[in-house]
Amino acid sequence: MTILDQAPAPYLKPLPEVRPENKPFFDALRAHQLVIPRCDNCGDYNWVPYPACRSCLSENQTWTPVSGEATVYTYTVCHRGPGAFNADVPYVIALGELVEQPRPCLILGNLVGAAPGNVRVGMPVQIAYQDIPGEDITMWRWVAR
Amino acid sequence: MPFPKRQAAIVGVYTTKQGKLPERTSFSLQLEAIKGALDDAGLTTADIDGLLPMSGAAHVPGTTAHQFWAEQLGERPLSLVEIGGASGQLAKAAASIAAGLTDVAVLFFGRAGARTGPGGTKAADKAPRIPDDWSFATAGGYMTAWYAMWAQRYMHEFNVTNADLAEVAVFTRYHATLNPDSVMGSRGEITVDDVLASRYVCEPLHLLDCSIDNDGGYAVVIASADRARDCRKKPVWILGGAEAYYTDFYATINDPWFPNQGKAVRKATDRAFGLAGISRDDIDVAGLYDCFTVTTIRDLEEMGFCKLGEGADYVKEGHLRLGGSMPANTDGGLLSNSHCGDPSGMHTIEVVRQLRGECGQRQVPDAKLGVSLQQGWAVHGLASTLVMAVD
Repeated sequence: MTILDQAPAPYLKPLPEVRPENKPFFDALRAHQLVIPRCDNCGDYNWVPYPACRSCLSENQTWTPVSGEATVYTYTVCHRGPGAFNADVPYVIALGELVEQPRPCLILGNLVGAAPGNVRVGMPVQIAYQDIPGEDITMWRWVAR
Repeated sequence: MPFPKRQAAIVGVYTTKQGKLPERTSFSLQLEAIKGALDDAGLTTADIDGLLPMSGAAHVPGTTAHQFWAEQLGERPLSLVEIGGASGQLAKAAASIAAGLTDVAVLFFGRAGARTGPGGTKAADKAPRIPDDWSFATAGGYMTAWYAMWAQRYMHEFNVTNADLAEVAVFTRYHATLNPDSVMGSRGEITVDDVLASRYVCEPLHLLDCSIDNDGGYAVVIASADRARDCRKKPVWILGGAEAYYTDFYATINDPWFPNQGKAVRKATDRAFGLAGISRDDIDVAGLYDCFTVTTIRDLEEMGFCKLGEGADYVKEGHLRLGGSMPANTDGGLLSNSHCGDPSGMHTIEVVRQLRGECGQRQVPDAKLGVSLQQGWAVHGLASTLVMAVD
């Protein structure tokens, strides 16, 4: 498990609103764990979360811990950024495909700690956790594994 | 029941000045566009009985766009014909007109003083909490970043290069130089090297791989066959059209991204051509959504003008350039003519002008059949296709 240093303060970038539907996800992040909805009926993982499983339409899904291991499906190096992100250029946004199957789960996040020029499609990555100063939320990032 | 071919026609089109318009408001651009398209048709506001508003057209808090405009355009009850992405809205409007739900409807959009890209956005004083839990917004994403990830994966799978993408920017800029109303035409032609030398916005997309980001408005009037025959200009008949949607909200796209059977654009286009009863080879002129260079290449593959992975070669062979087998985006497209926020109807307008023979030095000779493709949301996540013809 990789726990990153707390993000520099003040943190002025947008953060997700925590609501009853997504609270288990963010509670798990606080505890440095990645959970995603898994269907109790057919066993498929579902990302991004929907109210019912997209394979069998069962409404019975359980937030289930996953490895957080993934490979980079695609990425971009941003040289312009909105708002507070403009101070971070160049920064990397990546979609990591979790090793958990059969439904491929592509999770979007910032890939940190690697030189942007070294990022490649297919690169092995894992989820890392970063606490946000002054906020009761932990965010997920991708790091090389 | 078959699609009601030639029972509705586009009878009026109008584009305001496109570009930086600091003295204008979104409302005034929309009103100018509505009046202009009606005048192009030889109609007045009293003739309108249906509305096809695009995004952002309500100007009184608490109302929706159609309620606002029904009041504004003369305190008369008007029908909301359809929402959607221009090409699909017009297809659905044609079906509504044939079914007697409305006779004359206007589609319109206008934007001033806002930007699609990140330019000029300031950091907040405190981290804002936003409802999109897993979207790109918390990771510094925006349109260009998303399309860049799409381009990156596409280039990886099909061995497409930055120079291949650049060819799209080159031919559309050439077209813009022949369109005196385009935003970029006066800057002259560009080369592949110019595109590659422009700065990266989001790798692998350079600045010149991206559409421009300007103010502007436009409108389209669609009418029943009976009304169309009495209008000022030659009717541009609706032969067929369709729309298709899937994901979603800039958070993810299910893998695989490039299936052989295609996604929303394929579904909409297959249905549109099926309803129209013509083949892709019959098309004389096309308007293909081109928010980024990669979009055009993927449009071609998804629409079935070439096979998966062959879009870049199709462009390099010159089919889309004026003089080619199917000139496309002859106004300069979103890359070099105008991207005014929601430019979904701009491609239809240029195809209408081509089919009427109004395009001057960029005119496609004897253009009789045209197609427009609109797309958006998480790349090709919503799509619509419209097939048009003149007698």
